[in-house]
Amino acid sequence: MTGREPTPVQMERLHQRSRRFTRPGFLIQLALLACLIAGPLVMPSFRVMDLVAKIMIFAVAVASFDIILGYTGIISFAHGMFFGLGAYSVALICHYSQPVQYHHLLLAGVLAALISTVVAVVISALSLRVKAIFFAMVTLAVAEFCHILGYQWSSLTKGEDGVSFKLPGVFSADWSGGALWGTQINGRLLVYYLILVVCALLFVGLVRFVRSPVGRVLKAIRDNEQRATALGYRVFRYRVLSTVFGSLVSSLCGALFAMWLSYVNPDTVLGTPLMLNILLMVIIGGLGTVYGGILGAAFIKIAETWLPDLQKLALSLFPKMELMHRLAERWILLFGILYILSVLFFPKGVVGTLRDQAEARRLRRLGRP
Amino acid sequence: MPEAILSLAGVHTHIGQHHILQGVSLEAIRGRATVLLGRNGAGKSTTLRTVMGLTPASAGSIVFDGQAVEKARPHAVARAGVGFVPEDQAVLRGLTVEENFRLAMLQESPEAWAKMETIFELFADLKKFWRAKAGVLSGGQKQMLAIARAFVGDHKLLLIDEPSKGLAPIVVDHLIASLNQLKRHTTIILVEQNFHMASQVGSDYFILDDGRVVHAGLMEALVDDEGLKQKYLGIA
Repeated sequence: MTGREPTPVQMERLHQRSRRFTRPGFLIQLALLACLIAGPLVMPSFRVMDLVAKIMIFAVAVASFDIILGYTGIISFAHGMFFGLGAYSVALICHYSQPVQYHHLLLAGVLAALISTVVAVVISALSLRVKAIFFAMVTLAVAEFCHILGYQWSSLTKGEDGVSFKLPGVFSADWSGGALWGTQINGRLLVYYLILVVCALLFVGLVRFVRSPVGRVLKAIRDNEQRATALGYRVFRYRVLSTVFGSLVSSLCGALFAMWLSYVNPDTVLGTPLMLNILLMVIIGGLGTVYGGILGAAFIKIAETWLPDLQKLALSLFPKMELMHRLAERWILLFGILYILSVLFFPKGVVGTLRDQAEARRLRRLGRP
Repeated sequence: MPEAILSLAGVHTHIGQHHILQGVSLEAIRGRATVLLGRNGAGKSTTLRTVMGLTPASAGSIVFDGQAVEKARPHAVARAGVGFVPEDQAVLRGLTVEENFRLAMLQESPEAWAKMETIFELFADLKKFWRAKAGVLSGGQKQMLAIARAFVGDHKLLLIDEPSKGLAPIVVDHLIASLNQLKRHTTIILVEQNFHMASQVGSDYFILDDGRVVHAGLMEALVDDEGLKQKYLGIA
């Protein structure tokens, strides 16, 4: 063998690579993208568009959290805080810039990335060398500090009232560009497409990241830190890299979320419930899967949007059943039951469990019971 | 004169309050397989871990390939060319067989991939389970993966800790054949309780007792020395 000719192993890998555009997984992704593009034009409902935009943003935020928790095994409670830093960067720059221009949006995005990178590097450098629980406690304290800062620094953040703002030019809620195939083209629709494009790019970036050599090292660290070190990898550097990258993506998601709402307040983008939601989404979707983020975000956001409507449905379907009305009124209980069921039936999350089952089938074909 | 690839001189290692290595001195000759023998708790595994920097030496010197490594961190020792196969089938269980190998390559190159073909000749099962998670492999397959992974990393020296532990005799025989193939390509230091395996693979030996080297020599001489085997290894 000359060393220039591909070995049989390399040939097999090249063959696998050549088939990647015809695999069912790729075709499903393509179909999903087509639905997201055509959806608002075919079915112009603001409620549905609002739901889908939030699912897209949270799917990417959850996938970025999965890089930190699922791939590297680091427990961070500051992911929601980074989301909030991104959201506040957009909100404050757009609110205090009169008149707001396109370059202000760009500046906000750059500022969000810069602040989150600096904060993540400082937190990681100070606390990732020691035990994981210490990092978790530090991130919890810093996140809570930022939440309180959002309330207390009211001269800048408007405190509990929050900051509302206008977006520039074609992204403004007032802008209208006529109709296309019966659908009104307006600022909201263009913000939706902007979110779609940025989220798709970020998601592809996350998938490429976990499939890169760096992603492999992160998985090795999660599996056994000492073995990864003995193989020649500087574990600390990789941990910092993972935390910074995940936090950076989260802050960009926060920036998109603020653009979608044109409003932020400390509870919606910095509060503990946001962090818990992200945690629930990643557990439901499956740790260490990236794609699980899409399912986790969809499950929680759909449940949050549609479960409150159960009360109306119960009233119309069973007008005399008091118990049914009470149950439907307390939809959060049903949400809890749904969550417990999902964990019971998909202990490794939906994607994680399905992957395990596929792996088991493949092993059986290879003769392993 | 044979050249030593690794030299330990008066190495002491403490783990917490315990003084485990109490002045270990030994040399591993380039291109040969050196076996560390001794009873449980003699300090054999700690010697390997100390060379790797996983339990750093508190005193003494360790020279690998002309370079002092007693203060080096584990990743630096690995990058200098020392591969480590810990005991208990130390694979990365959550990663596929392929990912385990690609991690070990550090830098993927055509030469590294070409080496994979040699590995598949020695361990055919690893090719079969190429895309399976390492955690689902049998004990023997995991051990083979752990050794093969260290081999693919282009290491000048392999430290292998009790590879036969918990394996069926037939698997041990396969492992002996594989290690004898591997030692043609690289230098090996093997810690082994199974004297049959140690004698089949090793060229030189060091016997450790209570954290010190108490005897050393050629393996072929030890095989015939019943008194020494009885005294330090408890083999009748």
